[in-house]
Amino acid sequence: MTSAANLRAVALPVVAAALVSGVLGVQIANGGGDFTPTRSASPCAHRAVTSVSPGIQGLTEQLVLLGLDGAACRLHVTREALALDLAQSHTPTDAQVDALRAGLLEAVDRLKAEGKLPPASTLTDEALDSANLNSFVKAAIRALPDSLINSALKTDDVLRRTINELDLRSLIANLNDPNQLSQQINAAVTKAVRDALVARLRDLL
Amino acid sequence: MDTRDPRGEDVRVRRAAVPLLALTVGFVLADSAIVTLALPEILRRLGGTVPQVAWVLIAFNLVLALVVVPAAWVCWHRDPVPLCAAGIAVFAGASAACALAGSMPVLITARCVQALGGAFALVGCLELLVARIGERRGIAWWIAAGVIGTAVGPVAGGLLTETISWRAIFIVQVPVAVFAVPAALTARGGAARGGAARRGAVQPAEMQRPAVAPNVSLVLLSAALTAALFLLVLLLVEGWRRSPAIAALAVSVVPVAAFVATPLARRFRAVPRAEIAAGCLLVAGGLTALALLPSAHLAWTIAPQALIGLGLGLSLDRLTVDALRDRSPRVMHAGWTIGARHAGVVLGLAILTPVFTADLRNAQVPAQEAITALVLDAPLSADNKIALARGLSDQLTKEHDRVPDLHPAFARLELAPADRPAAEQLERNLNAQLERAATQAFHNSFLIAAGLALLALVPMLPLRRRVTT
Repeated sequence: MTSAANLRAVALPVVAAALVSGVLGVQIANGGGDFTPTRSASPCAHRAVTSVSPGIQGLTEQLVLLGLDGAACRLHVTREALALDLAQSHTPTDAQVDALRAGLLEAVDRLKAEGKLPPASTLTDEALDSANLNSFVKAAIRALPDSLINSALKTDDVLRRTINELDLRSLIANLNDPNQLSQQINAAVTKAVRDALVARLRDLL
Repeated sequence: MDTRDPRGEDVRVRRAAVPLLALTVGFVLADSAIVTLALPEILRRLGGTVPQVAWVLIAFNLVLALVVVPAAWVCWHRDPVPLCAAGIAVFAGASAACALAGSMPVLITARCVQALGGAFALVGCLELLVARIGERRGIAWWIAAGVIGTAVGPVAGGLLTETISWRAIFIVQVPVAVFAVPAALTARGGAARGGAARRGAVQPAEMQRPAVAPNVSLVLLSAALTAALFLLVLLLVEGWRRSPAIAALAVSVVPVAAFVATPLARRFRAVPRAEIAAGCLLVAGGLTALALLPSAHLAWTIAPQALIGLGLGLSLDRLTVDALRDRSPRVMHAGWTIGARHAGVVLGLAILTPVFTADLRNAQVPAQEAITALVLDAPLSADNKIALARGLSDQLTKEHDRVPDLHPAFARLELAPADRPAAEQLERNLNAQLERAATQAFHNSFLIAAGLALLALVPMLPLRRRVTT
């Protein structure tokens, strides 16, 4: 075969290979092959959580997000997989309930350690609005000075009591019913406040 | 003014006959892929299941692959003129039946009949084109019409579905056949004479065996091109949720590149095998590039499609020429090439569909987790997040096994004006995650298709034959 014939035999495939290399090179340089769904972060790693909601709702949201992380870390699954599982099954396992409770308690500790737990007095008005209490009692509590409330009620103590009080299984079952959900949380918070006050009184006596 | 030639044939009819016969070839071969973009619409309108709607594609290609060689044999032994005309008429009638189909089984049956008529039309048109304009030009017209039809099919189908309806895809084929039938019949004298001479010239004992290497390459290359012609439009329409018209415009790069491939290749004065090798490399490279898309922006699909189009233009017609060269009877070998191409399409669908549907199912978990992460961390109130999660869950359930449209979940949210920008940003982010998941789901299928394109090179490799003394 002459050199011209050889050239004619290889020129076009060589040009084709060069074109393919060029296109693939540009694509890989621009992230080709990495265009996949974002991987879930490790739930055991420290994650900064924030909430756009003020007051009790914001605090609850932060606790739930941190609690989910803690529970997922204990169960060796991602936070997202646990959230999807809880939302879709509506019947959590004992292990999930225990991990969730432990995660929420751990979240209280973390927020307290980071100084992110507000004093009880700042949450009182909001809590009283939704509390199932006589209006005279509500007015009387509102009249109490902040320092008295803060010395009588510790936010972390109330939160821990609330978490221990909550029936997490039925809470998860009621995820799709906001009214049931808030009723259940309010009842648990009210009982936790009452228990905290009783305990405080016992300590004083 | 007398418009008749010395043979008594109307000159206008003679001039129109060649383009009409070529157009018929283009239409029949375009039908292989023309319904791809219309499949979601057909599923919505006619009901049925996803596997059933896949048979709208598979049935046509399978019947054509099975029937075309026997059709060629009949055309070789009988007068091809009435067979071709009858084939075109059956194809047109079945196209009308497809357009009027009210259920999936009727549509699939009509598609089978369409392929049956199409098989006779394809091999008959080759004989009539050769009879009209000579061996070399006739084959060149027939091959070029087939390549362009194959490449243009998805684009035409997408545009018709978007602008009119999926039924329009089949309706537009009917008038072409109305004109093509008389065009076929006017060739009676010349083709019949050619046919008689041909039958006399080639005795059954001299009938040459099909060219194995180019036909095997055609099977493998067509299987690979299935990914480009079917899976890419599915990715654009179902994965990235682009409209069929946008998808049709996007995939028009393939036919444009296929069209310019041959004139570009001429500049290199390459030998046929070099063109085939370059074509297979380009198709494989383009498919690999589709497997490695950096984002869901349509612009990223242009260069890979250009590679595939150039490869298709270079290799498909060269392989067909190779399979036909110096082989007789020509019509039988043409039948083998058509059979090989459509068997390749069926093979491609059979290999790639389970892979990509399994990958699409496997992509659901990472996509759901990515979406959950974004919703959990979104700068929205907890109430809105719970309401949104409920809406998203409803959408996922409603659009089971499909990439869901998330917008209805956001439209149902009662948001304060201050929260709207955050919700809009979240919707964009969630859609981006869906696009990522869908793109990933097609990754393996494109890579397998690229492998098939490279395999198509193997039969064409020049193997040294051992000389025995």
